[in-house]
Amino acid sequence: MAAGIAATPDALNRAGGLPARARRFWRSAPSAFRIGAIILTIHILLALLGWVWTPYDYVARVGIPLSGMSWEHLFGVDQNARDIFSRVLYGGHIVILLAVSGTLLGVLVGAAFGLTAGYLGGWFDEVVMRLFDAFNSIPFLVLALLASAVAGPVASGEPLLLVGVVALVYAPRVGRIARGAAQTVATQDYVMVARLRGERVRDIVRREILPNCSGPLLVEFALRAGYAPVLIGSLGFLGFGVRAPLPEWGRMIAENRNLIFTTPEALLAPGIALATLVVGLNLFTDGIARMIGRSTPHAGA
Amino acid sequence: MGGIVQILALCLKRMATAFLTLLLVSLIVFVAVEVIPGDAATRVAGRDATEETLQVLRERMHLDLPPAERYLTWLGGVLTGNFGDVLTSGRSVVEILAPRVTNTLIMSGIALAIYFPLVLIPAIVQAVRRDRAVDHTLSTITLVLLSIPDFVLATFLLLLFAVAIPIFPAMSNIDDRSTVSDIIHVSIMPAVTLAIVMAVYAVRMLREGLIDVLDADFVRMAKLKGLSQRRVLLRHALPNAVVPTLNVTALNLAYLIGGVVVVERVFSFPGFGSLIVDSLKLLDGPLIQATVLLAATVYIGANLAVDIMAIVLNPRLRKG
Amino acid sequence: MAAPLPQETTAPVVASIRDVGLAYWQQQAWSDVLHHVHLDVHAGEIVGLVGESGCGKSSLSLLMMGFRHPSAKVRSGEIWFDGSDLLAMPEADLARVRGNRIGFVPQNPTTALNPGMRVGAQIAEVLMVHGRVKTREAAMERIVELFGDVGLPEPRALARRYPHQLSGGQQQRVTIAMALACDPDLVVLDEPTTGLDVTTQEQIILLLKNLRARHGTAMLYVTHDLGVLSELADRISVMYAGHLVESAPTDVLFEYPRHPYTRGLIGSIPRLDGRRPREGRLTGYLDRREIPAGCPFQPRCPLADDRCAVEPQILGECAPGHAVACRNADSVTPLVLDDGGVRLARADSPTLLEVEDLSLRYGQMSLYQRLVPSALPPVVVRDVSFTIAEAEVVALVGESGSGKSTIARAISGLLTPIGGRIALRGKELEGGIGARSSDVVRRIQFIFQNPDASLNPRQSVGRSLARPIEVFFDSSHGAPRALVEKALDEVLLTADYAGRYPDQLSGGERQRIAIARALVAEPDLLLCDEVLSALDVSVQANVLDLLERLRRETSVAMLFISHDLAVVRRLADRVCVLYHGQVMELGPVDAVFEPPYHPYTLTLLMSLPGSPLRSGQPVARSEPEREPQAQGCAFAGRCPWQPDARCYTEPPPLHTTDRGVAIRCHLPLANLADLARPQAADPTHAMQTREAGTTP
Repeated sequence: MAAGIAATPDALNRAGGLPARARRFWRSAPSAFRIGAIILTIHILLALLGWVWTPYDYVARVGIPLSGMSWEHLFGVDQNARDIFSRVLYGGHIVILLAVSGTLLGVLVGAAFGLTAGYLGGWFDEVVMRLFDAFNSIPFLVLALLASAVAGPVASGEPLLLVGVVALVYAPRVGRIARGAAQTVATQDYVMVARLRGERVRDIVRREILPNCSGPLLVEFALRAGYAPVLIGSLGFLGFGVRAPLPEWGRMIAENRNLIFTTPEALLAPGIALATLVVGLNLFTDGIARMIGRSTPHAGA
Repeated sequence: MGGIVQILALCLKRMATAFLTLLLVSLIVFVAVEVIPGDAATRVAGRDATEETLQVLRERMHLDLPPAERYLTWLGGVLTGNFGDVLTSGRSVVEILAPRVTNTLIMSGIALAIYFPLVLIPAIVQAVRRDRAVDHTLSTITLVLLSIPDFVLATFLLLLFAVAIPIFPAMSNIDDRSTVSDIIHVSIMPAVTLAIVMAVYAVRMLREGLIDVLDADFVRMAKLKGLSQRRVLLRHALPNAVVPTLNVTALNLAYLIGGVVVVERVFSFPGFGSLIVDSLKLLDGPLIQATVLLAATVYIGANLAVDIMAIVLNPRLRKG
Repeated sequence: MAAPLPQETTAPVVASIRDVGLAYWQQQAWSDVLHHVHLDVHAGEIVGLVGESGCGKSSLSLLMMGFRHPSAKVRSGEIWFDGSDLLAMPEADLARVRGNRIGFVPQNPTTALNPGMRVGAQIAEVLMVHGRVKTREAAMERIVELFGDVGLPEPRALARRYPHQLSGGQQQRVTIAMALACDPDLVVLDEPTTGLDVTTQEQIILLLKNLRARHGTAMLYVTHDLGVLSELADRISVMYAGHLVESAPTDVLFEYPRHPYTRGLIGSIPRLDGRRPREGRLTGYLDRREIPAGCPFQPRCPLADDRCAVEPQILGECAPGHAVACRNADSVTPLVLDDGGVRLARADSPTLLEVEDLSLRYGQMSLYQRLVPSALPPVVVRDVSFTIAEAEVVALVGESGSGKSTIARAISGLLTPIGGRIALRGKELEGGIGARSSDVVRRIQFIFQNPDASLNPRQSVGRSLARPIEVFFDSSHGAPRALVEKALDEVLLTADYAGRYPDQLSGGERQRIAIARALVAEPDLLLCDEVLSALDVSVQANVLDLLERLRRETSVAMLFISHDLAVVRRLADRVCVLYHGQVMELGPVDAVFEPPYHPYTLTLLMSLPGSPLRSGQPVARSEPEREPQAQGCAFAGRCPWQPDARCYTEPPPLHTTDRGVAIRCHLPLANLADLARPQAADPTHAMQTREAGTTP
């Protein structure tokens, strides 16, 4: 491959003002990123819309139960006579908020421990790694179910619990990646230079290690955030999700499972919504990973 | 001589780490169950139970012992194969566990059998014909399938093959009297679902791993020596691709153990996964501890096997 | 379409590269890497292709094998071999040519050999696939023959080994054997000695010369090291930014280069006598974003004008067999050398740093290793002692494994010694950085080898320079901004560099920033760990100038670590030669470069390409006959002048010459003084013996 200075992807080309840079950035981004970004933007806009307005109130009984599609009820009405379209629309911001905040919390906690462990090595690293390994050994869905159950009947169904559960599942997995990234960065000479100045560990991790791991961490965030709706949906499907009557897409699919013959659109609406959100997030993640320089990122279990 | 000793030492070290991790998991699971709010005895006996009944129950459940002792007692039991009794019914955990585990094992076996060709063929094709039309097409298909949540996919397959074209039963109606072939018949749909989901995850990772090997310096050198494409692939590239494949498989096993939970629910399959869900719904301590610990053991064991194989296959440890 | 190169010899042409252009797909666009390259290789000759990193020479060497990266596109041209165009051949036919008619020797033998296959099997594979042998036994016979040719001992045993069981030099010999296996007409070598020690490199060069003499194989040797080509090549082609700028027989090229770039390149090579060209040195660096449509060298060329920026230069003959692509070739004057660096007399400066009987293990010891002594990392430095006076430059010279970097790490506090002491101005230094006071930490600054890794990519230059100020000084010391600008000024960079990021800088600029960052702390001692080794030759010269200037103008002392004796000649006051963690020779620089020499020092001096000391001398063995014991001389077993078995077991006594050089050797001083004789001046050495540019 031709070597040389300009071989590094120059998406951070710093000439020009902000709008010019943004336009250049958009044009040089891979198509996966662009399609993903567009899908996500649509979802976010719809979610914002659904938060403030829906055609019908999401718990109100508005029609004949299990009546099919019509102009008033685009996706029909479920067995409790609630408008399905409104419910799906309203559920958008719930899923996105839960997914994003849970992932964010998980990434923050995981990165904090993982980066430090990767830089320090030694006994701290060993201890943290064992803890991460232990939590990672419990299949994520099982861990999520366990955490939900442990929280007890009072907390069950609370959105905040769901955020915590998502964070708990993701922190050790992200932490593992963060540790690996930190280990690579820690061998670089500029980290050694900081050590030779006698700087403290937390300063070194904050100034030298963290900014140079932002690539992999960003990819991890996007990746996990992409799977979070499925995780939350699975929990909802199994009955451990957000409490009724909040319209969480996964639980809606579970609830309406039996309507599969009579009113399939009851399933279709939340199913398509969930699937497209996840597709958008996956494309977005793919695009970011490619821009950072790796080929395909991989989701662990 | 040095080679074998080194290999053994590395393997032992790895096994020690695995054991330590498993111990930690047992602790975590124990603490989790401890922390469940409410009195365990009351949960089992019901709200109207008398104080005496509760006392007897507490003794039987070792609730009168300090937590540390209870943990060690339980751990000791586990190491000898005694997981305690199910709280609600009084039967031994092992008794409940065994048939469920068997069912899931059969189903997983079928899933893995379908999974391997499903993942190897596209991954190899994509890696060898990188960046060409077939690569992009397969990548897009994979991406779309990847984005469908497993329970959605399962439901869809159920609709298709149990309702629209009734080949398979919609609900898995097996019990203690079912034969193995009954179980297999009922396992096929959940197995296919699992295989598809696992394969879709794995193809992308395997493709990347294979590309790394194909880009390696010594593979290029083999081409520069004038070896045919086929020889380069078979003699130089593929043998060094075993380890990445194993790693990907290990990751998939992790998914498998979690994935059965949802899939079994959709198909009402009485396996290990739905047992976990039931035990958590019922908040049955001993059952929770046993199932979660078992799940973790399988994961750790699989990873250990892969790591040991990687150590043994590492050419740098060989002595000519 | 340029005129084909003039025929210099009457030998037939083996391979002919004609008007080849190549482009890579990068960042959503095609970028051209090779432009209209012409090159002919005649039977029995060694053609050298020289150029700095990124000029496209590696891509050309692969094209010679008909091989291109999936994201590369051939824009134009053909490569003729045996009547066919390699660039248009189908893969199946190419597979019959590669390894069979054209052999390839890769840059990195460690990664180029399949780690899971025995080396003999890898060679047998080539033989069988191309039909040279039919049976395993026949293959083994041929391998024995080949290994004999390339100087590998015990061929049958070695063939059964895996690559990781061989040393770097041995691995490279294996790849050379593999390339020669089928008696090819042409061998293409892509930087085959990069990454090898200079003594190993020396042996490979001798081997190649030998092979050419015996088999008459034509070779295309691609490298960035002109010095190697001065030894080896019959003709040299010079490449700049994908363009061929000059092509001539080796002697002619060195005596009178006609292209300003070639001239600058030759002038940048450090000489053993420390002399430098007075002018015509290369300035600036290759900026790929600023390559003009005409001559690519125009931005850096002292003779260029506006026409040069617009008109592409075409290779044309300026003398028989000598082609150059420059309008102003006739104005290019030969190089004139100066008298060598001015030696500053520093009489009796007080001692700054004292290293006494230092012993080190490689790496920190973990708890496990403390309990299991056999798992301890090896001792790499044993009882090393030297001093550095204030404002003095002491050079630590040695090959890989000599322990020189490890010593620097110990001085800086990254490694705790297992024996001996290090003292700064009389006060003993603590082993670890954490135990040292901030003031002590400030006084010793470290500059690393790799400019790409020594700057935080996410911090602007200004931030990177300001950080030491924040850490070491309080606000009374002065405004950080002013200090940063002063530091940039000291390394000859303008103030606007403060806002730039490392990925916008060249290797040489990054290294300057690393130096500036060290200087900003106002240290007493700079530890320079191979700071020039990762830079292109032309950039090295500039940074070396900078260090010399710093030495003259500031009073900072330096511990300069290098494997390159020629670089050290000009910069250092005193030189310490290390081998496997022991001091072999230590003394003032001029005295060390003259007899009497320690045998290892002489070996190093002889290994430098074009060294006048070479001819008629025995060569050091590549592997020791017996492993010397810990208290014996480290060089025993390899030393070609070894007197007897004492060297393995007894510590060599210390001799001091009248010029203040300390040498540890069992041979008496008188013998050591004679070692360097006889030295017949070899008329084929184009570089070091002849003063380039003076009319004979």
